[in-house]
Amino acid sequence: MEKSRDGDNDEQPLGELQAELTAELSKPLDWRAAAEESKQHEKSNRIPASVSPLRSEHTAWPSRHGGYVRQGGPLIDQVTNSWRTEEKASAYYVSVTDEEQDLRCYGPGDEDTCPTGSRGLVRSRRFRGMIAVVLAIALFAWYGWRCYLPLRREWDDKLGFLPSSVNGTYGLARGGDFDGTAIKWLHHSLVPGGKSDPEGKRRLIFVGDIHGCKDELLHLLHKVSFNSETDHLIPTGDVISKGPDNAGVLDELIRLNAESVRGNHEDRILALAKTSSTPHLDSQTPATTSKGSSKDHKLLTHLKPHHMRYLRSMPLMLRIPALPYTSTSSPTWLSNSKHHDRITEDIIVVHAGLVPHLPLPKQDPYFVMNMRSIDHITHIPSALRQTKKGKSKPWSKVWNWYNDRLAHGRSLKNFHLYTSEEHEAEQAEVQESWVDRFWYFALGRRQPRHRQEKPEVVVYGHDSKAGLQLRRWSKGLDSGCVGGGKLTALVLDARGRTEVVQVGCRDWK
Amino acid sequence: MRAELLSCVLFFGCVLALPGLWKRDAPFEEVKTRLDWNHQDAEHDEPDKYFHEANFHPHYDGRFGDKKLKYEERMSHLAALIQTYLSSMNDVGAETWIMHGTLLGWWWNRQIMPWDTDLDVMVSEATIHYLAEYYNMTLHHYHLPGLETGRDYLLEINPHYSNDEIDGANHIDARWIDTETGLFIDITTLRRNKTAQSHGEADAMMVKDKHHYMYDDIFPLRASVFEGIPAKIPFAYAELLIEEYGELALSSVFYQNHRFQPEKQEWKPLSCRDYGTCDQLHGSGNGVNLPAESEESSAAPGWLQKLRSAAREDGLPRAVGLDGKLFEYSKLLTRPIRSLRWSN
Repeated sequence: MEKSRDGDNDEQPLGELQAELTAELSKPLDWRAAAEESKQHEKSNRIPASVSPLRSEHTAWPSRHGGYVRQGGPLIDQVTNSWRTEEKASAYYVSVTDEEQDLRCYGPGDEDTCPTGSRGLVRSRRFRGMIAVVLAIALFAWYGWRCYLPLRREWDDKLGFLPSSVNGTYGLARGGDFDGTAIKWLHHSLVPGGKSDPEGKRRLIFVGDIHGCKDELLHLLHKVSFNSETDHLIPTGDVISKGPDNAGVLDELIRLNAESVRGNHEDRILALAKTSSTPHLDSQTPATTSKGSSKDHKLLTHLKPHHMRYLRSMPLMLRIPALPYTSTSSPTWLSNSKHHDRITEDIIVVHAGLVPHLPLPKQDPYFVMNMRSIDHITHIPSALRQTKKGKSKPWSKVWNWYNDRLAHGRSLKNFHLYTSEEHEAEQAEVQESWVDRFWYFALGRRQPRHRQEKPEVVVYGHDSKAGLQLRRWSKGLDSGCVGGGKLTALVLDARGRTEVVQVGCRDWK
Repeated sequence: MRAELLSCVLFFGCVLALPGLWKRDAPFEEVKTRLDWNHQDAEHDEPDKYFHEANFHPHYDGRFGDKKLKYEERMSHLAALIQTYLSSMNDVGAETWIMHGTLLGWWWNRQIMPWDTDLDVMVSEATIHYLAEYYNMTLHHYHLPGLETGRDYLLEINPHYSNDEIDGANHIDARWIDTETGLFIDITTLRRNKTAQSHGEADAMMVKDKHHYMYDDIFPLRASVFEGIPAKIPFAYAELLIEEYGELALSSVFYQNHRFQPEKQEWKPLSCRDYGTCDQLHGSGNGVNLPAESEESSAAPGWLQKLRSAAREDGLPRAVGLDGKLFEYSKLLTRPIRSLRWSN
């Protein structure tokens, strides 16, 4: 034991002397056993003298096994008055709290020198009890939080649909105008799997923002092996501006009988064509207007009357009925859960986005062509990704939440109403007695809902920064072609299967 | 509506001719219509301020108006004001568009919001020069449906219009003034923001009242209709409205003691029916749409006279309780009305 403290007693001449003495005394004895034992204790019981100088006076220490370390030398030499101090020492040991013991072991490089301390700690019942309680509380809190979070999130998502949160919502005001066909249905002869396509050979090819990139468009059409006999091309707007060959793209689209929706750039060009009274458009320089506006003026000089006619004919929204093959060939649960890449519901093509739950005729045209986010309480959209208040969400997120709800048949009770007919229907439903409800249930008739809504898939462009955004109920196809990104096509066949095809683009900006 | 440009009376004289004197609006003696004395409050204005508002309300011209109009009167006069302005500008080919509160009214239902007491329009720089050169101090005579006599509207340009600097006293570049009532439209000019442009923001625009815009948010203008007359709207109208008034202004159907009825597309003053408190009040109206004063004027009960005198003040919806106390509907509002009313 004394030997084991040799190395640490540099500063204590008394200890040194003692050590020398004991070393000499131990020589004639069984040094092997002593050496072995001391080696063992060197590891377990070595205590820096500087930390507890008190203990340097003790000659014997309780070993790990509860007995005493046998020292070298004749036994008589070992006899000390240690029984006196021993009691004190052990009493001291008992009184030392777990913490203090722990502290003593904390010197750098001493981690492995006091296993007895941490073991004692683990063995302490009180400590184990405490740990168990803390763990239980933590587990309970975590579980509660996990249960609460989805509820909270659900409530947050729902808030914008409920009249109780604010006095009014987006869509009650009259909003802006649209000079043209706002909502157009795809002609039935073009529907894949429709009456004029009994074999289901037709396809719909949706293409993201082209922005005058004619070469890329032709390359993409080649890549999807476009066949004008069976395929119908539907760009999501912004087919012109920014890029190299706007008139060329328009000519190509007209030749292919493509049906684009109106984007914000077409809207700008059409508004400009209406207001510009000056025949000499070259005089519109950035100095008198703006950089974008002078480019638009220049573009306007390149467009012929038939181009303008084509631009004017673009609807705000293009609606496509659910493909007939998909509704008969596969049960809806299959399409809902696993086959996310299939589209089996009605499709709406717009340039930028739509606000969920608001009837299509009430959507403000400006936002349909410009929105990126919507306010989570008022559902007022914004062209920005995040508004000043910072309370907005990407519109597609809210759209997907709402359509998931519709797809699962969950109630729209208490959601906003937009017409008095809806209001009356809801009033009638509220006044319905429970007997009526029971009969509806018993006879297997569905409860009359105030609005029969089906989930719909939106195909859109506009958000090139977000890139390709494929979700269950929204398909964002603008992957930034004109800025050197990709031009994306979404190919939809008669069975509702989709395929994404992309080509790389030159940076034209 | 039959619009006639009856006379183009040009007043030179005092405006620019006398050096050393402040430029100020046309003197009362030269332009007065029905009033005997001037209700302007010029002494309290800054010395170089050109337009002087009436001493009884900042949205009336004291040379032509002597009192605040009642709620319904004001609504019809303001509507006539914007109708005559828009059709006159359409006639002379001046590029103008509606802004601020007037644009918000357009967004809701293509009409002036009934609690508005002024109207805001903007013109381009080229237009203000054109109007100043050819149409300053012109009177435009209109025969309006529902009015027996014709009415003159005055276009008065602030001579400080050519000064591009920010000028707190003269940020209104021109006014379209109803010479019967003193109501007017503020006309401001959208200018190039030379400071911002010198810092590289090429498309920055400004107005002297310190509003800032980007060129592409305003132009190209959209064609629409306001109060039944073709009008121009800034391109990114919705963004401008959110920027200026916030999302709630585009969604809330309760505003300034009024309720928007989505079915009728109309703002109606609040009444006890909105609160279900009609049984606690005298009458069931809202203190705005009162019976005409001519009938049984002195014999009217006390509560009605109270309501009338209050409505004469500002036309806010008010009511009188059974205890005879007069109060505003907004004070009644302890919490927002939670549900929309679909029928009335």
